[in-house]
Amino acid sequence: MNTWIKVLIIVAAVSIMIVGGSYAYFKYLTKTRLLISTTTSLWETGLLNATEQAFEAKYPIDLGFLPVGTGQAIQQAQGGNVDALLVHSPTNETQFLQGGDGACRKIIAYNFFTIVGPRSDPAAINGSSVTSALKKIVDYGRSHTERIWASRGDGSGTHTKEKILWAMAGYNYTQISVESWYASAGSSMSATLNMANEFGAYTISDTGTYLKLSKDGTISLLAFITETKDLLNVYSVIAVNQTRHPNVNFTNAITFIRFLISDECQQLIDDYGKNESGQSLFHSAVQLLKQNSTSQIVQWIKDYAFINGTECPPEYRDTRYPDLYN
Amino acid sequence: MGIWEGLIKALQLIFSGDPRIIEITLRSLFVSGSATIIATLWGIPIALILGLKNFRGKFLVKTLSNSLIGIPTVALGFFLFLIFSREKGPLGFLGLLYTPTAIIIGEAILVLPIVVSFATTAIEAVDPEIANLARTLGASESQASFAILREAIDGILLAGIASFNRAIGELGVAVFVGGFIAGVTELLTTGIKLEIDSNNIDVAIALAIILFTVVFGINLALNLIQRRRK
Amino acid sequence: MSSIAELRNITKNFDGIRALDDVNLKIQEGEILALLGPNGSGKTTLLKILAFIEKPSKGEVYFAGRKATDKNLLQMRMESTMVFQKTMLFNTTVYNNVAYGLKMRKAPKNKVDEEVSKALGLVKLDGFENRHTKKLSGGEQQRVALARALALNTKLLLLDEPTANLDPKTVSIIEEVMATANRKLKTTVVMATHNMFQAKNLPHRIALVKDGKISEVGTSTEIFRNLSKTLASFAALENTFNGTAKATENGITSVDIGNDVLIETTAQQSGTVSVFVSPEDIILSKKRFDSSARNIFKGKIVEILDLGSLVRLKVDVGKPFTVQITKRSFNQMELNLETEVFLTFKASSVQII
Repeated sequence: MNTWIKVLIIVAAVSIMIVGGSYAYFKYLTKTRLLISTTTSLWETGLLNATEQAFEAKYPIDLGFLPVGTGQAIQQAQGGNVDALLVHSPTNETQFLQGGDGACRKIIAYNFFTIVGPRSDPAAINGSSVTSALKKIVDYGRSHTERIWASRGDGSGTHTKEKILWAMAGYNYTQISVESWYASAGSSMSATLNMANEFGAYTISDTGTYLKLSKDGTISLLAFITETKDLLNVYSVIAVNQTRHPNVNFTNAITFIRFLISDECQQLIDDYGKNESGQSLFHSAVQLLKQNSTSQIVQWIKDYAFINGTECPPEYRDTRYPDLYN
Repeated sequence: MGIWEGLIKALQLIFSGDPRIIEITLRSLFVSGSATIIATLWGIPIALILGLKNFRGKFLVKTLSNSLIGIPTVALGFFLFLIFSREKGPLGFLGLLYTPTAIIIGEAILVLPIVVSFATTAIEAVDPEIANLARTLGASESQASFAILREAIDGILLAGIASFNRAIGELGVAVFVGGFIAGVTELLTTGIKLEIDSNNIDVAIALAIILFTVVFGINLALNLIQRRRK
Repeated sequence: MSSIAELRNITKNFDGIRALDDVNLKIQEGEILALLGPNGSGKTTLLKILAFIEKPSKGEVYFAGRKATDKNLLQMRMESTMVFQKTMLFNTTVYNNVAYGLKMRKAPKNKVDEEVSKALGLVKLDGFENRHTKKLSGGEQQRVALARALALNTKLLLLDEPTANLDPKTVSIIEEVMATANRKLKTTVVMATHNMFQAKNLPHRIALVKDGKISEVGTSTEIFRNLSKTLASFAALENTFNGTAKATENGITSVDIGNDVLIETTAQQSGTVSVFVSPEDIILSKKRFDSSARNIFKGKIVEILDLGSLVRLKVDVGKPFTVQITKRSFNQMELNLETEVFLTFKASSVQII
């Protein structure tokens, strides 16, 4: 046989052995894998890490989180590259479900965004409502030379929230985002907080990341406004629709969702970070919604994060798992 | 935590043999190492052809190979992501996306031009009469080619080391086809990004130190070999 | 004697250049045959064809009565081996070099060890097995190349300028080895050379090669007897000149080689002769000095050839002489093109051929 052909055969064989070997090891000798795309801000808090450990202690499933921006996370889910989606952007989630790519949405936790800023509070927003605080910041910004607002500017859930708030306060986002006092980080929550810290500017942040960095001593910003309806932040999990994306690990996604809404996990969510930060970074939502109490927070969640009056419209539920929605 | 604190904690992590750090390091070494081996396996025969034979279009092939050396890793990474995408990609059915295997394949493709270019140069630097010498001593055609290869071994070694260097330090391919899923596809490079995002500055610094040490070691080996040749 | 190899109507073209033109040659078993001719005459190509590492464009090659074809090429190669003009060694130990051909023939290890040791002994490099070729001198390297060929004990041994540019000690070792190999092992030797002195003493037969053709083949006595005219056309053979010899006093013959250059020699002959002075016998200096040498010429350096540790110069004293000095001397004397120098050599160094 021609030597070249022999060489080609050997080379191809060894390559296949290495590639195939690592692939086989990965797919068959390790446990089943479940891939969840999520947002960087949620990942940054470390909650998902804790959840993963608790989950893997109970189930022989290898959990993997892909922390990208909200937009990216949804895209991955739409492409069927991941098995489930864990984000905090109800408007985007609605679009996602309406696009037919998702199934079995469950709201699992909530916390509040907070408007933080320099200790000196130059725009004197302390105690104001969200809308008036924003107005004060804009006025301050337009009458001074320094940058007084930092934004994530990256299309994340936090950024989307910020845009909604600007609209509520009556501002044209495209217009103000290019004014001299408005600084866009185009990056993660920690990066944005660091930038705000540097500039002595205000910004909107999720409590989790803010508390973590604050405790660390990385930043010295103060939280001025929080726990209002406008700043509600709701986290939901959605499985990727198996009918449309037959290759996803749907059954295990449901197992994961079940785990998330279980008492054990909900307790974990409530407890997370309490020791270090002195307060909860997240609040469990499942029990609250189940009880359907008339408390203010439930009302806020319903207004903000429900779709057509429910956390998951029936057309997006999987009839095989009615127990998810009692 | 500040950089100093992070640095101290990073050193503690490294010297205490923190399992997470070890896992990430081993995975990086395995992935980039496998990629280098595969690229070398495929690259040497190609280099032999380019270095020894003349054919129409040879000039173009060589130029192509040389220009592919500098391909931006994000471009290649994104391209492969599209190919491996579970549903829309032509190779999606293999289910390779976000696995270490995909990174191996991607990095192998990335460094193949490096192997080909370095090895071709090394082979061309060998006196072609060596083949005749081997033949007159009784070698067959393939043995004669192998004799040339053996004379070029230093250059080929350099090719392998340079490839490993590029593979282990690259980010674009690993990010796009591997994701940076903690515990699964996290490598030294993607790990640095991930850990910074998670605000684990100590882990990020630890990974950076290790990555730098590995690359430094590689370059040390490179220079030692070059010295030996003289 | 039977012929061990035969070239019939061999023509070889390289990119439009005819290196060999309709060459016919029979190589007799057990002889030492010298291919004598200037550089570029086709000697190397001829040897390579005999080594079966170059295929003729036209013509046939026969070995031991069998015709060489594409199919039996590998076996044919095993019967002869060639030592190249440019010392070519693998970048490894002496042992690995000398053992290479044996390994190609799949000889068992102890046989390989034995043959390597024997071959190294022949070239007087006993015990050199583990040395790295990079660390050897030029002469030692070429001896390793020779040992490598000898270890194979092929029927035909081909040598391309085996002693060119080597120090005298190495030259004598190599010449002795060739003679021994031929005598004791009955190896047929074909060597290419442009050193006439070597061609005169060593081989049984000489073939004169020029411009890709063989102009004459005969025993060395035959060739050198009527050599004058033919030799004159071998202008590239260094330091060979045609001239008229006249006896003068005290046993000295004066040879007029033209352009007012008169060479004095102790050889006795008169009439039209060809004289030859070995480059090694010529002393080069920047100033004229007194000595017993009878031949002193002033000239200019017209050509410089850097051979590594040696430098070969062509000096025009009316006729061009080739001289060889060490690199060190060359640097110390600060020589250059057009530098005026003196050539000095003894009358006894001049040979009449």
